[in-house]
Amino acid sequence: MSSSAVETESPDLVCELDNVQGMVDALTSVRWKRHQDAVLELSEHGIVLIVEDTGCLQAKVYLQRELFVRYEYSAHGRPRFGVSLGLFVDCLNTFCIPGHSGPIEFQYPGPDMQLLLKSTDSLSSCTYAEIRTRIPDTISWDYNFEPAGSTPISFTVKSSALKEAIDDLEWPGSSIQITLQPTPPSVTFKGEGHGDLQIDFMYYANMDLLTAFNCDQVVSHRYKYKFLRATTSNIPSSVIKDNRGSKLTIGRGGMLKVQHLVSVAKPSNSHQHIDSVGQPPSRIAYIEFFVKPQVDEENAYDS
Amino acid sequence: MKFKAFLTDHGVNLLEKRFLPALDKMGKTCHLYLTRDHAIFLHNLLNGDGIQSIAQFQKEALFEDYRISSQNDDRIAFTIDLSLLQRALRSVLTIYTEFGGSIGGDATANRLQIKLVKKTPPHSNQPMPFLTFETKGYKSAVIQDVPISKPLSRTDVLELQSALDMAQDLPQTLVQVPDMNQLQSFVDRMKHVGDVLNVSITKYGDLHLQISTSLITLGAEFRKLKVIGEQARVPPGDENLTAQTRTRRAIDKGDAMSVQVSVKHFFKSIQCHLAKPDCAFYGIAQQGSCLTVVFQFFIPGTRQTDKSISLHCRLPVLVDSGTN
Repeated sequence: MSSSAVETESPDLVCELDNVQGMVDALTSVRWKRHQDAVLELSEHGIVLIVEDTGCLQAKVYLQRELFVRYEYSAHGRPRFGVSLGLFVDCLNTFCIPGHSGPIEFQYPGPDMQLLLKSTDSLSSCTYAEIRTRIPDTISWDYNFEPAGSTPISFTVKSSALKEAIDDLEWPGSSIQITLQPTPPSVTFKGEGHGDLQIDFMYYANMDLLTAFNCDQVVSHRYKYKFLRATTSNIPSSVIKDNRGSKLTIGRGGMLKVQHLVSVAKPSNSHQHIDSVGQPPSRIAYIEFFVKPQVDEENAYDS
Repeated sequence: MKFKAFLTDHGVNLLEKRFLPALDKMGKTCHLYLTRDHAIFLHNLLNGDGIQSIAQFQKEALFEDYRISSQNDDRIAFTIDLSLLQRALRSVLTIYTEFGGSIGGDATANRLQIKLVKKTPPHSNQPMPFLTFETKGYKSAVIQDVPISKPLSRTDVLELQSALDMAQDLPQTLVQVPDMNQLQSFVDRMKHVGDVLNVSITKYGDLHLQISTSLITLGAEFRKLKVIGEQARVPPGDENLTAQTRTRRAIDKGDAMSVQVSVKHFFKSIQCHLAKPDCAFYGIAQQGSCLTVVFQFFIPGTRQTDKSISLHCRLPVLVDSGTN
């Protein structure tokens, strides 16, 4: 296919995925608005998709090359391009027809810098797509997450419990205060707005809910509800079913990092470990959200 | 004008379980056109915009003791709301099925009667036309009146009949849909990507669907489908081309046609599979005037076409792309 002719260079990336539903699930988890522009970064390690909102919220989806059945990378450097997230996901969804189980091939760039998708269902049918890309006009905000102290302050909570807690704390326009304290080891979510609601996770009370906890000092920060909500609103049902945990880390300055794991494995696959947690790491997509803390009004005009 | 008939069990099954749910998807109201030999449900035949559908039954497929008379050659047509019709039919059926067949050897079996009547509704002093269902149950009798429009005038019936005659033209090439369920899932998802669907059909037996907007081109190609009508051999060397190139070449050769239709209309046409047809075929009418889908019903237990039932839809073309 790629020959010595001047015009036909190898594309930067040709890769093949055997379970598009998994990719749809992973990308859906970072959809919180109708119209979102995403940036895709390609490298020899895999694909990263980045979405942002008003400089306060950023989400990244890591699709490592091991997720792909085939991954042929021949770019110089790391190509970056922009696509509409909603359009990309809706397009991928059309490849997810039950009974339509063939692998999907991605190629970038096409002759016009498009992202090309192709699926050959059988000898006699195929589905294809060409998605227009754009040059991203801003460098993705590197949230430069740094640990708050010598030991990272973090906890791991069951994803379904986290989602439920945030759903319960819904008060439009309000903020949520997250407090971690070492004694007794616990995490508190408090909703402030019209009235008061507090949800506590005690580390030793229920080991199924809060499965890990690291905190050596009291830490407390507030986050705008709508941004916190965005981190859990579209968690795919597979995450809930797989009984996964989400890890939350509070970094320097109160920056919050929320991490989820989404299975990209084919449901009927013959994997060696098929219990709830023991998926081989190569069949997991990593989702990361970064949420900036809300600055107090008194300090609003400081630096 | 008079119309009275009894619905057979087969007719009830055809309407209640299959055709009325499918036709309901085509549009809320339709014409019911009754002639000496046929009962026909017609959608959008007299107004140009929406998807047209024609469901035609020979009277024996639905009724027995069918009696019709009118000054217009024994033809009667009116508009009816399909959800009201379904509701009325379901309601009489709950009573009718209580009392299936004859009591204690009595030869008079229970029957489900349908007839055209004029009644004065409770809060009015004007008599209005209704299509009425009547039957008996174990302990009760039930009458369900479905309000209908004033029956069409002679001129309007003529117009309806000629629209029907024009709509019976079949495309020269029809290709069989391989899997209606799969196609439905696909088009259901495609709806989120764009509004306009390009449909190309070749004489080689290819069906190529494509949505193309400024941001995305998304398509699916189905090849080696069964062809009814004009066919042609696949030209050699076509195997490694893209779907788009293959289609373009076929059009240039005169072996294919392509039209643009609304995705929503296309999706509606697939929902006709609620009528449980045995096969479905798509074809483009001459000069690309419309996209036609024809549903075929077999006599149960055979692969012979049941000629007493026919269902087909015609989708308006958005832009006559012709050989585009």
